Amino acid sequence: MTANVLALNNALVEDYLKRFIQEELHTSGFTEACIALSGGLDSALVLKLAVDALGADHVHTIFLPYKASSDESRRDAHTMFEFCGIPWQELDISSMADAYLALQPGIDHLRTGNLLARLRMAVIFDQSKKENALVVGTSNKSELLVGYSTWYGDMACAIMPIGDLYKTQVRSLARHIGLPQQVIAKPPSADLWAGQTDEGEIGVSYETLDQILYLLVDERLPAVEVASEGFATDLVKQVERKILASQFKRVPPPVAKLSQRTIGADFLYPRDWRK
Amino acid sequence: MTYTVALAQVNPACGDLEYNVKMHVAQMEQACEAGADLIVFPELSLTGYTLKDQTLDVMRRADCPEFAGLRELSRHIAVCAGFVEEGEDGIPYNSAFFMDAGEVLHIHRKMYLPTHGMFEELKFLGRGRELSIFDTRFGCTGIVICRDLFHPLEVSAMAALGVELLLAPSAMPARGFAGEELAIEQTVGLALGSASTFLGMFVVYVNRVGFDDGLGFYGGSALSDPVGGVTVSAPRFEAAQLIGTIDTSHIARRRYQLPIRREEDLEIVRHALETRRNL
Repeated sequence: MTANVLALNNALVEDYLKRFIQEELHTSGFTEACIALSGGLDSALVLKLAVDALGADHVHTIFLPYKASSDESRRDAHTMFEFCGIPWQELDISSMADAYLALQPGIDHLRTGNLLARLRMAVIFDQSKKENALVVGTSNKSELLVGYSTWYGDMACAIMPIGDLYKTQVRSLARHIGLPQQVIAKPPSADLWAGQTDEGEIGVSYETLDQILYLLVDERLPAVEVASEGFATDLVKQVERKILASQFKRVPPPVAKLSQRTIGADFLYPRDWRK
Repeated sequence: MTYTVALAQVNPACGDLEYNVKMHVAQMEQACEAGADLIVFPELSLTGYTLKDQTLDVMRRADCPEFAGLRELSRHIAVCAGFVEEGEDGIPYNSAFFMDAGEVLHIHRKMYLPTHGMFEELKFLGRGRELSIFDTRFGCTGIVICRDLFHPLEVSAMAALGVELLLAPSAMPARGFAGEELAIEQTVGLALGSASTFLGMFVVYVNRVGFDDGLGFYGGSALSDPVGGVTVSAPRFEAAQLIGTIDTSHIARRRYQLPIRREEDLEIVRHALETRRNL
């Protein structure tokens, strides 16, 4: 299988996503967007789309480093602020995080990572209130499907413009839009410790992962058939397990049904509900 | 006969009847000024598409007071618009009315309500069970709502029973972004081409634009002419009102050149249904 099945008409996608951002905000009664910029590619792309859709004056973005964040993240965040013509905004979450971490000796990488993601969520949502803005999410389809994201952390947002784009499609769209090369080319990383990369942690390159996900999810092929397309059976099964194990993150929590009309089951309105 | 039709590619507000009625009035006035004889709006243009439980709040009869202004304006321009119809049985239907000369001339209830994947129409709406075939000053007219257009049997039967002008109000979400045009645009193009090329009908396809909960409707409204192919083509994603001309002589010309309608024999279908049923 070649990567061609993931190729998109980027000009069409760019146009569509800008309209999506604009209309979803306006329908909800907002003109302002808030985006937490990490220095990585996903938030860089969403920032650029939002700035083009709404105008730089209507996009409030902030870099939220922890003391262990890399210099590259800061450098690339800087580049994106300049690229989009937005004044630099930074809020260091180290003291917030360390106040709690000091109470949790022996805390592992995963818990620390989740904590940092949720602290950033708390900050960006507070900033959004200050700016009367909606939080625009930066999750992509690859990480949403394998659960490589923090529930109520980086997943928390009002809208997800790139939630239906695989990581390799995000890269392709970023190249089309002309994002700075250093931001596109860097290895994707949650940047929780030195040398950490997504692909190191997930255990497979995004090129391979996205093709497996495409076959499993978009084409609905059973794992054995995906493997027969030239992927290791163990890897395909591992990806499938990740999708199952993270399903809870992709749905609202179940509500115990008691009444005739239960939120989620019988109380059904669009997000853009207005009377 | 030659007449003009306005394709109102609009973005209705979900659940906001008052806003949508005003928007329809403005569109009708604009079309009148442009000299159009008929204006066609998208599916559920008066209510919005992703209504869910708002269905109950917005269902109306076509002769309801809220639509009085539209009926009045139909003295100047015939109109086909989409709404949630409160049936005499109390059931809400995904319907489109045709008003002319101040009267409701016809109502079509959508027959094929997609209920799979992103679609959940049968969860909230009743199913229409009648082909839409009625006479207007434009000739024998029929309405298909969105998915109805993808059922060749229905469209073919309408042509065989005399329909020359097919109105196709739609709310088709964009999907399939790989090619030069969207995958759904290609699918719609096949349906339009088949109705015009094989069946010799004019098709007025009017699709909405805008987003409902992440579903983006792509527009791309079109007038498909039995002789000229697609003669009017609205932009993708943008609200627009376009005017097209219909020359009814094209119907006979096309049907003489490729006489599918003359050859058509619904008795074959009837016979097949009866004999298969008896197996």
